[in-house]
Amino acid sequence: MSKASKRIKVMTLKEAVEKFVFDGAVVGLGGQNISRCQVATVHEIIRQRKKDLTLTGCNLSIQMDLLVAAGSVKRCECGSGNLERFGATFSFKRAIEEKRMEIEDFSHGSMVSRFLAAEMGIPFIPCRSLLGSDILKTKAPSTQKKYEMVDNPWNPGEKVLLLSALSPDVAIVHVQKADEIGNIIIEGISNHEPEMIRASKTCIITCEELISSDQTRRNSDRTTIPYHFIDAVVEVPFGAYPTMTYRYYNYDNDHIRAYQECARKGGDAIKKYLDDNVYSCETFEDYLEKAGGLKRMMELKKAMLRMVG
Amino acid sequence: MIIEASRYISDTDTVVVGTGLPMVSAMFAQKTHAPHVSFVIESGPVDPVFDKVPISVTDPSIMNRAVKLGAKREVLGCLVQRGLVDIGFLGGAQIDQYGNINSTYIGTPEKPKTRFPGSGGANDIASSVPKILIITRHEKRRFPSKVDFITSPGYIDGANGRTKNFMKVNQPDIILITDLAVMEIDKSKGKMVITKLMPGVTVEKVKENTGFIPEVASKVDQVELPTDEELKVLREEVDKEGVYLKDSLKAGGGKSD
Repeated sequence: MSKASKRIKVMTLKEAVEKFVFDGAVVGLGGQNISRCQVATVHEIIRQRKKDLTLTGCNLSIQMDLLVAAGSVKRCECGSGNLERFGATFSFKRAIEEKRMEIEDFSHGSMVSRFLAAEMGIPFIPCRSLLGSDILKTKAPSTQKKYEMVDNPWNPGEKVLLLSALSPDVAIVHVQKADEIGNIIIEGISNHEPEMIRASKTCIITCEELISSDQTRRNSDRTTIPYHFIDAVVEVPFGAYPTMTYRYYNYDNDHIRAYQECARKGGDAIKKYLDDNVYSCETFEDYLEKAGGLKRMMELKKAMLRMVG
Repeated sequence: MIIEASRYISDTDTVVVGTGLPMVSAMFAQKTHAPHVSFVIESGPVDPVFDKVPISVTDPSIMNRAVKLGAKREVLGCLVQRGLVDIGFLGGAQIDQYGNINSTYIGTPEKPKTRFPGSGGANDIASSVPKILIITRHEKRRFPSKVDFITSPGYIDGANGRTKNFMKVNQPDIILITDLAVMEIDKSKGKMVITKLMPGVTVEKVKENTGFIPEVASKVDQVELPTDEELKVLREEVDKEGVYLKDSLKAGGGKSD
Protein backbone atom coordinates (compact mmCIF):
# COMPACT_ATOMS: atom_id res chain seq x y z
CA MET A 1 0.00 0.00 0.00
CA SER A 2 1.44 3.37 -0.95
CA LYS A 3 2.43 5.37 2.08
CA ALA A 4 1.62 8.62 0.33
CA SER A 5 -2.09 7.95 0.68
CA LYS A 6 -4.74 9.77 2.63
CA ARG A 7 -6.28 6.64 4.08
CA ILE A 8 -7.13 6.59 7.77
CA LYS A 9 -4.09 5.34 9.66
CA VAL A 10 -5.48 5.22 13.18
CA MET A 11 -5.02 1.82 14.81
CA THR A 12 -4.16 0.26 18.16
CA LEU A 13 -0.56 0.15 19.32
CA LYS A 14 -0.75 -3.64 19.23
CA GLU A 15 -1.77 -3.57 15.55
CA ALA A 16 0.86 -0.96 14.64
CA VAL A 17 3.72 -2.93 16.20
CA GLU A 18 2.48 -6.25 14.72
CA LYS A 19 2.27 -4.71 11.30
CA PHE A 20 5.41 -2.56 11.09
CA VAL A 21 8.04 -3.86 13.55
CA PHE A 22 9.52 -7.15 12.39
CA ASP A 23 12.34 -9.31 13.75
CA GLY A 24 15.66 -7.99 12.50
CA ALA A 25 14.24 -4.56 11.63
CA VAL A 26 16.35 -1.40 11.63
CA VAL A 27 14.42 0.87 13.99
CA GLY A 28 14.75 4.67 14.06
CA LEU A 29 14.20 5.92 17.61
CA GLY A 30 13.07 9.49 18.20
CA GLY A 31 13.34 11.32 21.49
CA GLN A 32 16.39 12.19 23.55
CA ASN A 33 17.41 11.69 27.21
CA ILE A 34 14.36 12.67 29.26
CA SER A 35 12.34 14.11 26.39
CA ARG A 36 9.62 12.43 24.33
CA CYS A 37 10.98 8.88 24.39
CA GLN A 38 8.42 6.53 22.82
CA VAL A 39 8.11 4.33 25.90
CA ALA A 40 4.59 3.08 25.11
CA THR A 41 5.65 1.72 21.71
CA VAL A 42 8.76 0.17 23.20
CA HIS A 43 6.73 -1.61 25.91
CA GLU A 44 4.55 -3.09 23.15
CA ILE A 45 7.58 -4.18 21.11
CA ILE A 46 8.91 -5.96 24.20
CA ARG A 47 5.53 -7.60 24.92
CA GLN A 48 5.41 -8.90 21.36
CA ARG A 49 8.92 -10.30 21.88
CA LYS A 50 10.41 -8.77 18.74
CA LYS A 51 14.07 -9.69 18.39
CA ASP A 52 17.39 -8.98 16.63
CA LEU A 53 16.55 -5.30 16.25
CA THR A 54 19.05 -2.67 15.16
CA LEU A 55 18.35 0.58 17.05
CA THR A 56 19.40 3.83 15.41
CA GLY A 57 19.15 7.47 16.42
CA CYS A 58 21.26 10.17 18.02
CA ASN A 59 21.01 9.86 21.80
CA LEU A 60 19.42 6.56 22.75
CA SER A 61 17.99 6.70 26.22
CA ILE A 62 15.67 4.82 28.60
CA GLN A 63 13.59 3.47 25.72
CA MET A 64 16.70 1.86 24.18
CA ASP A 65 17.82 0.57 27.56
CA LEU A 66 14.45 -1.17 28.10
CA LEU A 67 14.79 -2.94 24.75
CA VAL A 68 18.37 -3.98 25.50
CA ALA A 69 17.35 -5.23 28.97
CA ALA A 70 14.59 -7.30 27.34
CA GLY A 71 17.10 -8.91 24.97
CA SER A 72 15.48 -7.48 21.83
CA VAL A 73 18.55 -5.73 20.43
CA LYS A 74 21.32 -7.09 18.25
CA ARG A 75 22.98 -3.79 17.41
CA CYS A 76 22.93 -0.05 18.18
CA GLU A 77 24.03 2.59 15.68
CA CYS A 78 23.99 5.98 17.38
CA GLY A 79 25.81 8.97 18.82
CA SER A 80 25.39 8.06 22.49
CA GLY A 81 23.60 5.96 25.11
CA ASN A 82 23.08 8.30 28.04
CA LEU A 83 20.71 9.46 30.76
CA GLU A 84 22.96 12.37 31.85
CA ARG A 85 22.40 13.25 35.53
CA PHE A 86 20.47 10.01 36.02
CA GLY A 87 23.56 8.04 35.02
CA ALA A 88 24.54 5.78 32.15
CA THR A 89 22.14 3.56 30.22
CA PHE A 90 23.19 0.55 32.27
CA SER A 91 21.75 -2.30 30.18
CA PHE A 92 23.45 -0.78 27.11
CA LYS A 93 26.71 -0.40 29.01
CA ARG A 94 26.69 -3.97 30.27
CA ALA A 95 25.71 -5.49 26.92
CA ILE A 96 28.64 -3.76 25.22
CA GLU A 97 31.14 -4.61 27.96
CA GLU A 98 30.04 -8.25 27.85
CA LYS A 99 30.13 -8.20 24.04
CA ARG A 100 26.50 -9.34 23.78
CA MET A 101 25.54 -6.45 21.51
CA GLU A 102 27.18 -4.71 18.55
CA ILE A 103 27.70 -0.96 18.69
CA GLU A 104 28.50 1.24 15.71
CA ASP A 105 29.52 4.59 17.18
CA PHE A 106 28.92 7.91 15.46
CA SER A 107 28.30 11.41 16.83
CA HIS A 108 24.96 13.21 16.99
CA GLY A 109 25.89 15.52 14.11
CA SER A 110 27.01 12.67 11.86
CA MET A 111 23.85 10.65 12.54
CA VAL A 112 21.73 13.73 11.70
CA SER A 113 23.73 14.01 8.46
CA ARG A 114 23.01 10.39 7.52
CA PHE A 115 19.27 10.78 8.14
CA LEU A 116 19.41 14.05 6.18
CA ALA A 117 20.91 12.23 3.18
CA ALA A 118 18.18 9.58 3.25
CA GLU A 119 15.48 12.23 3.79
CA MET A 120 16.72 13.98 0.63
CA GLY A 121 16.81 10.75 -1.33
CA ILE A 122 20.59 10.83 -1.87
CA PRO A 123 23.04 7.98 -1.21
CA PHE A 124 25.69 9.75 0.88
CA ILE A 125 26.61 13.11 2.42
CA PRO A 126 29.78 14.98 3.46
CA CYS A 127 30.44 15.66 7.13
CA ARG A 128 33.13 17.55 9.08
CA SER A 129 32.84 15.47 12.24
CA LEU A 130 34.62 12.21 13.12
CA LEU A 131 37.93 13.09 11.42
CA GLY A 132 40.97 12.29 13.56
CA SER A 133 38.91 10.29 16.04
CA ASP A 134 38.85 6.60 16.94
CA ILE A 135 35.12 6.64 16.12
CA LEU A 136 36.14 6.67 12.45
CA LYS A 137 38.81 3.99 12.96
CA THR A 138 36.36 1.62 14.65
CA LYS A 139 33.81 -0.53 12.85
CA ALA A 140 31.36 -3.11 14.21
CA PRO A 141 31.76 -6.62 12.74
CA SER A 142 28.57 -6.53 10.67
CA THR A 143 29.20 -3.05 9.23
CA GLN A 144 30.34 -3.28 5.63
CA LYS A 145 31.60 0.21 5.00
CA LYS A 146 31.56 3.05 7.52
CA TYR A 147 32.92 5.96 5.49
CA GLU A 148 34.81 7.14 2.42
CA MET A 149 37.32 9.97 1.87
CA VAL A 150 37.17 11.84 -1.42
CA ASP A 151 38.65 14.94 -3.03
CA ASN A 152 36.40 17.99 -3.10
CA PRO A 153 35.71 18.09 -6.88
CA TRP A 154 35.70 21.90 -6.77
CA ASN A 155 38.91 22.08 -4.75
CA PRO A 156 41.10 19.05 -5.53
CA GLY A 157 43.52 18.37 -2.68
CA GLU A 158 40.88 19.23 -0.07
CA LYS A 159 39.81 15.89 1.38
CA VAL A 160 36.20 15.43 2.46
CA LEU A 161 34.61 12.69 4.58
CA LEU A 162 31.49 11.00 3.17
CA LEU A 163 28.94 9.04 5.20
CA SER A 164 26.24 6.76 3.80
CA ALA A 165 22.54 7.62 4.01
CA LEU A 166 20.59 5.78 6.71
CA SER A 167 17.00 4.80 6.03
CA PRO A 168 15.49 2.84 8.95
CA ASP A 169 12.85 0.18 8.22
CA VAL A 170 10.58 1.75 10.80
CA ALA A 171 10.80 5.05 12.69
CA ILE A 172 8.95 5.21 15.99
CA VAL A 173 8.26 8.64 17.46
CA HIS A 174 6.01 10.10 20.14
CA VAL A 175 4.60 13.53 19.25
CA GLN A 176 2.17 16.03 20.68
CA LYS A 177 -0.48 15.99 17.94
CA ALA A 178 -1.33 13.85 14.93
CA ASP A 179 -4.39 13.58 12.73
CA GLU A 180 -6.20 10.58 11.28
CA ILE A 181 -4.38 10.59 7.92
CA GLY A 182 -0.94 10.98 9.50
CA ASN A 183 -0.04 14.70 9.53
CA ILE A 184 1.98 15.35 12.68
CA ILE A 185 2.86 18.31 14.90
CA ILE A 186 6.01 18.22 17.04
CA GLU A 187 6.16 20.96 19.69
CA GLY A 188 9.34 22.16 21.37
CA ILE A 189 12.67 20.68 20.32
CA SER A 190 12.45 18.19 17.47
CA ASN A 191 15.81 16.43 17.96
CA HIS A 192 16.70 14.48 14.80
CA GLU A 193 13.11 13.45 14.18
CA PRO A 194 12.11 15.48 11.07
CA GLU A 195 15.08 14.06 9.17
CA MET A 196 14.70 10.55 10.55
CA ILE A 197 10.94 10.29 9.92
CA ARG A 198 11.33 11.40 6.33
CA ALA A 199 14.32 9.08 5.90
CA SER A 200 12.47 5.97 7.10
CA LYS A 201 10.60 3.39 5.04
CA THR A 202 7.71 3.27 7.50
CA CYS A 203 6.77 5.24 10.62
CA ILE A 204 4.64 4.56 13.70
CA ILE A 205 3.48 7.73 15.45
CA THR A 206 2.05 7.76 18.95
CA CYS A 207 0.51 11.09 19.94
CA GLU A 208 -0.81 12.85 23.03
CA GLU A 209 -3.80 14.15 21.11
CA LEU A 210 -5.48 12.89 17.98
CA ILE A 211 -6.76 15.90 16.08
CA SER A 212 -8.71 16.06 12.81
CA SER A 213 -7.12 16.68 9.43
CA ASP A 214 -9.58 19.55 9.11
CA GLN A 215 -7.88 21.18 12.12
CA THR A 216 -4.50 20.53 10.46
CA ARG A 217 -5.64 22.23 7.26
CA ARG A 218 -6.82 25.30 9.17
CA ASN A 219 -3.30 25.70 10.69
CA SER A 220 -1.13 24.39 7.86
CA ASP A 221 2.03 26.18 8.93
CA ARG A 222 1.98 24.28 12.22
CA THR A 223 2.38 20.88 10.54
CA THR A 224 5.84 19.44 11.17
CA ILE A 225 5.61 16.47 8.81
CA PRO A 226 2.82 15.73 6.31
CA TYR A 227 1.05 12.36 6.04
CA HIS A 228 3.21 10.94 3.20
CA PHE A 229 5.77 9.69 5.70
CA ILE A 230 3.47 8.16 8.31
CA ASP A 231 1.96 4.67 8.36
CA ALA A 232 0.29 4.34 11.74
CA VAL A 233 -1.21 6.82 14.20
CA VAL A 234 -2.03 5.77 17.76
CA GLU A 235 -3.37 8.12 20.43
CA VAL A 236 -1.49 7.31 23.66
CA PRO A 237 -1.74 10.09 26.26
CA PHE A 238 1.39 10.09 28.47
CA GLY A 239 2.97 7.79 25.87
CA ALA A 240 6.44 9.11 26.73
CA TYR A 241 6.11 8.57 30.50
CA PRO A 242 8.42 8.61 32.53
CA THR A 243 10.13 11.02 30.14
CA MET A 244 8.58 14.40 29.43
CA THR A 245 6.49 15.76 26.57
CA TYR A 246 6.89 19.49 26.04
CA ARG A 247 3.73 21.41 26.95
CA TYR A 248 2.02 18.26 28.25
CA TYR A 249 3.85 16.79 31.28
CA ASN A 250 7.21 16.79 32.99
CA TYR A 251 9.53 13.81 33.48
CA ASP A 252 9.07 11.58 36.57
CA ASN A 253 12.28 11.93 38.56
CA ASP A 254 11.45 9.14 41.05
CA HIS A 255 10.38 6.59 38.46
CA ILE A 256 13.47 7.16 36.35
CA ARG A 257 15.67 6.75 39.44
CA ALA A 258 13.82 3.55 40.34
CA TYR A 259 14.37 2.18 36.82
CA GLN A 260 18.05 3.14 36.97
CA GLU A 261 18.46 1.24 40.25
CA CYS A 262 17.11 -1.92 38.60
CA ALA A 263 19.09 -1.40 35.41
CA ARG A 264 22.31 -0.77 37.32
CA LYS A 265 21.89 -4.03 39.24
CA GLY A 266 20.82 -6.01 36.18
CA GLY A 267 20.00 -9.72 36.69
CA ASP A 268 16.89 -10.35 38.79
CA ALA A 269 16.31 -6.67 39.52
CA ILE A 270 15.83 -5.64 35.91
CA LYS A 271 13.92 -8.85 35.16
CA LYS A 272 11.46 -7.94 37.94
CA TYR A 273 11.12 -4.40 36.60
CA LEU A 274 10.22 -5.73 33.15
CA ASP A 275 7.82 -8.32 34.62
CA ASP A 276 6.05 -5.76 36.82
CA ASN A 277 5.93 -2.88 34.34
CA VAL A 278 5.82 -4.45 30.89
CA TYR A 279 4.99 -8.17 30.72
CA SER A 280 2.28 -8.17 33.37
CA CYS A 281 0.57 -5.16 31.77
CA GLU A 282 -1.78 -5.84 28.91
CA THR A 283 -1.72 -2.22 27.81
CA PHE A 284 0.33 0.90 28.46
CA GLU A 285 -2.59 2.31 30.44
CA ASP A 286 -2.16 -0.58 32.92
CA TYR A 287 1.47 0.51 33.38
CA LEU A 288 0.46 4.14 33.93
CA GLU A 289 -1.99 3.00 36.62
CA LYS A 290 0.77 1.08 38.38
CA ALA A 291 3.07 4.08 38.09
CA GLY A 292 0.69 6.28 40.07
CA GLY A 293 -2.30 6.68 37.77
CA LEU A 294 -4.27 9.87 37.29
CA LYS A 295 -2.93 11.48 40.47
CA ARG A 296 0.70 11.13 39.39
CA MET A 297 0.07 12.08 35.77
CA MET A 298 -1.78 15.24 36.85
CA GLU A 299 1.13 16.20 39.13
CA LEU A 300 3.52 15.91 36.18
CA LYS A 301 1.10 17.79 33.93
CA LYS A 302 0.82 20.65 36.42
CA ALA A 303 4.63 20.77 36.80
CA MET A 304 5.00 21.23 33.04
CA LEU A 305 2.24 23.84 32.78
CA ARG A 306 3.90 25.86 35.55
CA MET A 307 7.08 25.95 33.46
CA VAL A 308 5.61 26.76 30.07
CA GLY A 309 2.48 28.54 31.23
CA MET B 1 37.26 26.29 39.04
CA ILE B 2 33.69 27.05 37.92
CA ILE B 3 34.30 30.78 38.24
CA GLU B 4 37.71 30.61 36.54
CA ALA B 5 36.20 28.75 33.56
CA SER B 6 33.52 31.40 33.24
CA ARG B 7 36.21 34.06 32.77
CA TYR B 8 37.01 32.60 29.33
CA ILE B 9 33.50 33.39 28.13
CA SER B 10 33.02 36.91 26.79
CA ASP B 11 29.86 38.95 26.40
CA THR B 12 29.73 38.59 22.61
CA ASP B 13 30.35 34.85 22.47
CA THR B 14 28.05 32.12 21.18
CA VAL B 15 28.66 29.07 23.35
CA VAL B 16 27.50 25.49 22.85
CA VAL B 17 27.10 23.94 26.26
CA GLY B 18 25.83 20.71 27.81
CA THR B 19 24.81 19.77 31.33
CA GLY B 20 27.01 19.51 34.38
CA LEU B 21 29.77 21.86 35.47
CA PRO B 22 29.90 23.59 32.05
CA MET B 23 26.29 24.67 32.50
CA VAL B 24 26.98 26.08 35.98
CA SER B 25 30.00 27.98 34.68
CA ALA B 26 28.11 29.29 31.65
CA MET B 27 25.17 30.42 33.78
CA PHE B 28 27.54 32.18 36.14
CA ALA B 29 29.08 34.05 33.19
CA GLN B 30 25.63 35.13 32.01
CA LYS B 31 24.73 36.47 35.44
CA THR B 32 27.96 38.40 35.87
CA HIS B 33 30.30 39.70 33.15
CA ALA B 34 28.61 38.25 30.05
CA PRO B 35 24.90 39.09 30.20
CA HIS B 36 24.60 39.04 26.38
CA VAL B 37 26.28 35.69 25.88
CA SER B 38 24.29 33.43 23.57
CA PHE B 39 23.90 29.78 24.49
CA VAL B 40 23.00 27.04 22.07
CA ILE B 41 22.16 23.53 23.19
CA GLU B 42 22.76 20.57 20.87
CA SER B 43 19.26 19.20 21.47
CA GLY B 44 17.72 22.26 19.83
CA PRO B 45 17.23 25.31 22.14
CA VAL B 46 18.74 28.53 20.75
CA ASP B 47 19.58 31.37 23.16
CA PRO B 48 17.68 30.13 26.22
CA VAL B 49 17.73 32.11 29.49
CA PHE B 50 18.39 29.87 32.47
CA ASP B 51 16.84 30.53 35.84
CA LYS B 52 18.05 27.28 37.31
CA VAL B 53 20.68 24.72 36.39
CA PRO B 54 19.06 22.11 34.11
CA ILE B 55 19.71 18.42 34.73
CA SER B 56 19.66 17.43 31.09
CA VAL B 57 19.97 18.95 27.62
CA THR B 58 16.31 18.02 27.33
CA ASP B 59 15.19 19.35 30.74
CA PRO B 60 12.28 21.78 30.13
CA SER B 61 14.19 24.40 32.12
CA ILE B 62 16.91 24.39 29.44
CA MET B 63 14.31 25.59 26.93
CA ASN B 64 13.27 28.61 28.99
CA ARG B 65 12.69 31.76 26.87
CA ALA B 66 14.73 30.42 23.94
CA VAL B 67 14.41 32.39 20.71
CA LYS B 68 13.87 29.08 18.97
CA LEU B 69 13.34 25.45 19.94
CA GLY B 70 14.70 23.75 16.89
CA ALA B 71 16.15 20.53 15.57
CA LYS B 72 19.62 19.07 16.15
CA ARG B 73 20.49 19.84 12.56
CA GLU B 74 19.96 23.54 13.18
CA VAL B 75 22.38 23.60 16.12
CA LEU B 76 25.02 20.96 15.30
CA GLY B 77 24.82 21.60 11.55
CA CYS B 78 23.89 25.19 10.85
CA LEU B 79 25.61 26.72 13.88
CA VAL B 80 28.42 24.35 15.02
CA GLN B 81 29.56 22.78 11.72
CA ARG B 82 28.85 25.98 9.79
CA GLY B 83 31.34 27.79 12.07
CA LEU B 84 29.14 30.25 13.95
CA VAL B 85 29.87 28.99 17.47
CA ASP B 86 32.79 30.62 19.33
CA ILE B 87 33.20 28.33 22.34
CA GLY B 88 32.45 24.68 23.04
CA PHE B 89 32.37 23.38 26.58
CA LEU B 90 33.33 19.70 26.89
CA GLY B 91 34.10 17.07 29.51
CA GLY B 92 35.06 13.41 29.51
CA ALA B 93 36.43 10.48 31.41
CA GLN B 94 39.99 10.96 30.13
CA ILE B 95 41.91 13.88 28.66
CA ASP B 96 45.46 13.42 27.39
CA GLN B 97 48.46 15.68 26.75
CA TYR B 98 47.21 16.52 23.23
CA GLY B 99 43.82 17.62 24.52
CA ASN B 100 42.10 14.50 23.12
CA ILE B 101 39.01 13.52 25.10
CA ASN B 102 37.69 10.00 25.74
CA SER B 103 34.01 9.46 26.53
CA THR B 104 33.66 6.04 24.88
CA TYR B 105 35.86 3.21 26.27
CA ILE B 106 38.42 2.34 28.89
CA GLY B 107 40.13 -0.56 27.15
CA THR B 108 39.43 -1.11 23.45
CA PRO B 109 36.30 -1.81 21.37
CA GLU B 110 37.57 -5.39 21.00
CA LYS B 111 38.30 -5.77 24.73
CA PRO B 112 36.19 -3.17 26.53
CA LYS B 113 36.81 -2.68 30.24
CA THR B 114 34.34 0.17 30.76
CA ARG B 115 31.89 1.58 28.26
CA PHE B 116 30.88 5.26 28.61
CA PRO B 117 27.98 7.05 26.88
CA GLY B 118 29.89 7.82 23.67
CA SER B 119 30.32 11.04 21.76
CA GLY B 120 26.89 12.62 21.87
CA GLY B 121 27.52 16.05 20.37
CA ALA B 122 31.06 16.22 21.78
CA ASN B 123 32.88 15.02 18.66
CA ASP B 124 30.93 17.47 16.51
CA ILE B 125 31.89 20.31 18.85
CA ALA B 126 35.55 19.28 19.12
CA SER B 127 35.74 19.02 15.33
CA SER B 128 34.25 22.38 14.39
CA VAL B 129 34.51 24.90 17.25
CA PRO B 130 37.69 27.04 17.39
CA LYS B 131 37.85 27.38 21.21
CA ILE B 132 37.26 24.46 23.54
CA LEU B 133 36.89 24.78 27.32
CA ILE B 134 37.19 21.63 29.40
CA ILE B 135 36.29 21.72 33.09
CA THR B 136 37.01 18.70 35.30
CA ARG B 137 38.40 17.54 38.65
CA HIS B 138 42.14 17.03 38.65
CA GLU B 139 42.73 13.32 39.21
CA LYS B 140 45.71 11.34 37.91
CA ARG B 141 43.60 8.63 36.26
CA ARG B 142 41.78 11.29 34.23
CA PHE B 143 44.99 12.49 32.58
CA PRO B 144 46.80 9.61 30.87
CA SER B 145 49.58 10.34 28.39
CA LYS B 146 47.32 8.89 25.69
CA VAL B 147 43.57 8.35 25.98
CA ASP B 148 42.36 4.78 25.46
CA PHE B 149 39.98 6.00 22.76
CA ILE B 150 39.84 9.37 21.00
CA THR B 151 36.17 10.31 21.07
CA SER B 152 36.70 14.06 20.64
CA PRO B 153 39.99 15.01 18.99
CA GLY B 154 42.30 17.62 20.42
CA TYR B 155 45.59 17.75 18.52
CA ILE B 156 45.56 13.93 18.16
CA ASP B 157 49.32 13.27 18.23
CA GLY B 158 51.11 16.57 17.72
CA ALA B 159 51.10 20.10 16.30
CA ASN B 160 49.86 19.06 12.84
CA GLY B 161 47.63 16.20 14.07
CA ARG B 162 44.44 17.92 12.93
CA THR B 163 45.87 19.19 9.63
CA LYS B 164 47.02 15.76 8.52
CA ASN B 165 43.55 14.40 9.37
CA PHE B 166 42.00 16.96 7.00
CA MET B 167 40.19 18.88 9.74
CA LYS B 168 39.07 22.36 8.65
CA VAL B 169 39.42 23.80 12.18
CA ASN B 170 43.03 22.68 12.58
CA GLN B 171 44.41 24.96 15.34
CA PRO B 172 41.74 25.39 18.00
CA ASP B 173 42.40 26.88 21.44
CA ILE B 174 41.96 24.18 24.08
CA ILE B 175 41.81 25.36 27.68
CA LEU B 176 41.58 22.85 30.52
CA ILE B 177 40.43 24.21 33.89
CA THR B 178 40.68 21.99 36.96
CA ASP B 179 40.55 22.49 40.70
CA LEU B 180 44.37 22.60 40.69
CA ALA B 181 45.42 24.46 37.56
CA VAL B 182 44.73 25.82 34.10
CA MET B 183 46.43 24.13 31.16
CA GLU B 184 46.35 25.36 27.58
CA ILE B 185 47.44 23.90 24.27
CA ASP B 186 50.78 25.10 22.94
CA LYS B 187 49.93 25.15 19.26
CA SER B 188 53.55 24.80 18.16
CA LYS B 189 53.68 21.40 19.86
CA GLY B 190 50.04 20.36 20.10
CA LYS B 191 50.57 19.66 23.81
CA MET B 192 49.07 20.96 27.06
CA VAL B 193 51.10 23.47 29.07
CA ILE B 194 50.44 24.63 32.65
CA THR B 195 49.69 28.35 32.43
CA LYS B 196 47.99 29.08 35.78
CA LEU B 197 47.87 27.56 39.24
CA MET B 198 45.01 27.66 41.72
CA PRO B 199 45.89 29.53 44.93
CA GLY B 200 48.07 27.42 47.22
CA VAL B 201 48.88 24.83 44.52
CA THR B 202 52.41 24.17 43.28
CA VAL B 203 53.61 22.90 39.91
CA GLU B 204 54.83 19.77 41.72
CA LYS B 205 51.37 19.04 43.07
CA VAL B 206 49.91 19.36 39.57
CA LYS B 207 52.53 17.00 38.15
CA GLU B 208 51.95 14.46 40.94
CA ASN B 209 48.27 14.37 40.04
CA THR B 210 48.70 14.18 36.28
CA GLY B 211 49.32 10.96 34.36
CA PHE B 212 51.28 12.71 31.62
CA ILE B 213 54.16 15.07 32.27
CA PRO B 214 52.81 18.51 31.45
CA GLU B 215 55.04 21.26 30.13
CA VAL B 216 55.18 24.42 32.20
CA ALA B 217 54.79 27.90 30.71
CA SER B 218 57.72 30.24 31.14
CA LYS B 219 55.42 32.50 33.15
CA VAL B 220 52.82 30.77 35.34
CA ASP B 221 50.11 33.04 36.77
CA GLN B 222 47.93 32.46 39.78
CA VAL B 223 44.21 32.07 39.30
CA GLU B 224 42.43 35.00 40.87
CA LEU B 225 40.34 34.07 43.88
CA PRO B 226 36.64 34.65 43.41
CA THR B 227 35.26 37.65 45.27
CA ASP B 228 32.65 37.21 47.99
CA GLU B 229 30.15 38.82 45.64
CA GLU B 230 30.93 36.25 42.93
CA LEU B 231 30.57 33.37 45.39
CA LYS B 232 27.23 34.80 46.51
CA VAL B 233 25.98 34.84 42.90
CA LEU B 234 27.19 31.27 42.39
CA ARG B 235 25.53 29.92 45.54
CA GLU B 236 22.35 31.99 45.58
CA GLU B 237 21.52 32.67 41.94
CA VAL B 238 23.08 29.89 39.91
CA ASP B 239 23.27 26.62 41.84
CA LYS B 240 20.53 27.46 44.33
CA GLU B 241 19.93 23.84 45.29
CA GLY B 242 23.64 23.17 45.63
CA VAL B 243 23.45 20.26 43.21
CA TYR B 244 26.85 20.85 41.67
CA LEU B 245 28.49 22.80 44.45
CA LYS B 246 27.65 19.96 46.84
CA ASP B 247 29.69 17.61 44.61
CA SER B 248 32.57 20.02 44.57
CA LEU B 249 32.48 20.65 48.30
CA LYS B 250 32.61 16.90 48.83
CA ALA B 251 35.72 16.75 46.69
CA GLY B 252 37.38 19.34 48.93
CA GLY B 253 36.62 22.40 46.85
CA GLY B 254 35.85 25.73 48.40
CA LYS B 255 37.39 29.02 47.43
CA SER B 256 39.03 27.21 44.54
CA ASP B 257 35.56 26.67 43.03
